[in-house]
Amino acid sequence: MISATKKWLFLKISGALLVPLMIWFILNFVAIYNQGYFELVNFFSKGISGFIFSIFIVIAFFFSAISISEVFEDYIGDEQIKNVANKLLYLSAVVIPLITIILINNI
Amino acid sequence: MENKRPLSPHIQIYRWHISSLVSISHRITGIINIIAITLICFLACVLMLGEESFKIIEIFFNSVFGKFIILGITWSFSFQILSEIRHLVMDLGYGFELKTTKITGLVVIVGSVILTILFYLIGKNFF
Repeated sequence: MISATKKWLFLKISGALLVPLMIWFILNFVAIYNQGYFELVNFFSKGISGFIFSIFIVIAFFFSAISISEVFEDYIGDEQIKNVANKLLYLSAVVIPLITIILINNI
Repeated sequence: MENKRPLSPHIQIYRWHISSLVSISHRITGIINIIAITLICFLACVLMLGEESFKIIEIFFNSVFGKFIILGITWSFSFQILSEIRHLVMDLGYGFELKTTKITGLVVIVGSVILTILFYLIGKNFF
């Protein structure tokens, strides 16, 4: 299997997984965004909601990194700029969810 | 090194169709969503710093602008959900006829507004 096919498959699998996770997240977020401090902390870091939130951000950043790299492919002509943009994109897709998960699990 | 191949999708050249509108909106909402998720991650991290840091977040979410942002994120998520389902169905080989693409495109656009209202009402326990 060539790398472009693998990339397409990863994009489709993560996209399909993201649909129910997005529905779950937005329904809960609308319900809790103006609640108190402890409700928000409980949602992001405790129990099943904390676990699903962690899965959600990992898949969301993975999916976004692949799909935004497609946008770079379509709009950036310069190979060097495209490479730097892709590296920064993949780095942020690892670092942001990782830091968030470490912080929310250390409370 | 400059790549000489043409860049797509030539949005300034072709006449706009519902499919092109849904396609470009799918990309724009995808970028909006990842910015929103990044900010939500930041919010989660700020919350972990303690109750004092929550005051600013509370003021923001209770303001008109904050509520507008929440509604905007809800619409952007709704659009992405419906558009992603449309893409997945098309990947299975269905819905390529011109008439069907127009109908499903309209379903995504109109449906995203309806879904936003539904998400908001369900989230706020109106049902």
